[in-house]
Amino acid sequence: MKSNRLLSAAVALCVGLLMSTAALADSIQPLGTGTFAELKSGFEGKPFVVSLWSVDCLPCRVELELLGELKKGDPEFPLLLISTDTIEKREEAVYILEEYGLESIPSWMFADAFIERLRFSIDPTWHGELPRSYFYAADHSFKAHSGILTEEKLREFFPQ
Amino acid sequence: MPMCLMISERLKWLLSVSTTMLLTMLLWGDDAAAAENCQSLRERSAGQQVISIHCGGAPSATVDADGRLWAAFVQDKHVYVTRSDDNGVTYTTPVRVNNEPEDTEYNGENRPKILVAEDGTVLLSWTTKTSPNFTGEIRFTRSTDVGKTFEPPRTMNDDGLMTGHRFDSLFLTPSGKLYLTWIDKRDLDASAARGETYPGAAIYYTVSDDLGETFTPNFRVSHNSCECCRIAMAPHGDDEVAILWRQIYDEHIRDHAIAVLGEQGEVSGLTRATVDDWFIDACPHHGPTMVQAAQPGQYHISWFSDGNLHSGIHYGRHNMATGTTENIIQVDGTPGAGHPYLAHYDNTLYMVWKGFNGMASQLQLMRSQDDGATWSAPQTLFNTEQASDHPLLVTAPHGVFLSWSSEEFGYLFTEISSDEKQ
Repeated sequence: MKSNRLLSAAVALCVGLLMSTAALADSIQPLGTGTFAELKSGFEGKPFVVSLWSVDCLPCRVELELLGELKKGDPEFPLLLISTDTIEKREEAVYILEEYGLESIPSWMFADAFIERLRFSIDPTWHGELPRSYFYAADHSFKAHSGILTEEKLREFFPQ
Repeated sequence: MPMCLMISERLKWLLSVSTTMLLTMLLWGDDAAAAENCQSLRERSAGQQVISIHCGGAPSATVDADGRLWAAFVQDKHVYVTRSDDNGVTYTTPVRVNNEPEDTEYNGENRPKILVAEDGTVLLSWTTKTSPNFTGEIRFTRSTDVGKTFEPPRTMNDDGLMTGHRFDSLFLTPSGKLYLTWIDKRDLDASAARGETYPGAAIYYTVSDDLGETFTPNFRVSHNSCECCRIAMAPHGDDEVAILWRQIYDEHIRDHAIAVLGEQGEVSGLTRATVDDWFIDACPHHGPTMVQAAQPGQYHISWFSDGNLHSGIHYGRHNMATGTTENIIQVDGTPGAGHPYLAHYDNTLYMVWKGFNGMASQLQLMRSQDDGATWSAPQTLFNTEQASDHPLLVTAPHGVFLSWSSEEFGYLFTEISSDEKQ
């Protein structure tokens, strides 16, 4: 019985490794309560855009399509793409991101189900509606927007 | 090492008892323990799968005519039903409702609904996701043997389309008419096929006058509803229901509409119930709540908006005769606060909702003794620094109970109408 258990543990480990290798094919990382502040400091002195979405949000798909096009044309565009789904929904999120060519850019998913606190860590005044976006200026003053992000809105902030 | 030894001792012991005993003792034997939660159940289960109301997703509950609690929840692609004869202290072994696994939706706005008719028929509805692209089907089943077995689930949307049918709500009138309503995208699809734009989705419903044995065809209530918020239901007379939902006005404003539904598809009194001026092309995932007021044709309603006119959780009394909502008050304007739920019992109106202070969620309660004209100061019943579900209220013959699931406290079914809590 003991050897059986060892064998199944070994199998489980191998399966686990295979699965984690597969999971690494995307670039999704968990967003904990301190992550957003860290990400922001990575953009010190630089402007950037935050786009929040979820797998359950239909208008978010319109925005993802726009962002997919944008990243294709300008891979360096400073974008923080964050899903408010818990990271357990990673597979579903990847499926959707793949549709818009966004699966390989770094993006984040909520690390746990206490969404109120994670939302608060991004913006204490946000009620949770999606899509939600933020335009951060170089000095990190920001403008918030609820609803689909349009190309005009983006261009307003990042004139070419 | 000591952990491994402990486990192996436990395994030896476990093998010495029958499987039934094993499950009973491990999983349900002392569900009575206070402050049960899923983590503690899992720790005691020695690796056995734990199917429990404390671990299941998005539970909902009802109380039958004999005062027994029935709850439904989702776990591992199955809906389960469990019963408690002692107001939620102990629960029966959950019964699996759907034999075939389904991608059953369970989140704040989507959960299995359970009702028990006076004759003991157990009625259930839920939404099953059919793709990651917002498609789903409205499912229904029932038990005619006091919850021992359930009929194979049926799909209630009758369009046969692979499109959105989600956010179901189920209501049984005092006369025994069963209403099932949901958000439906068949008209959106038809418009798209014609190359026309169609803001949002539609509200549809069906009715059964034989406790779910047969249903009418689907009836449309309204075009252009919001796509992602639960629908509130309340009685209207003996045979009809009133429903309240988030509706799109002028293509971009997501406020609320109210209407009365009849058993033959009659839709009357459809009017705007809230004027919040929330201009948003987004998903609030935040549906309203409604109960009947003392005056006929009047409803207590509570909703969330971030509109130009109202922001935060609000309460108001809607008068169907005048088509207006009066006595509007802001309940909680804190960002992060939401998901109100109303109940009425013994001349007292109860409202619970979830507050948030930046670190923790607060389960808030307030009461009104004068039909919503004035309210008590909010009282915090629970405070948690972990994830939690939307709170629900269940009105039983013997009181009003909070039905609420959280990581910290597990599933709670707690009376809020007793004197000592006032």
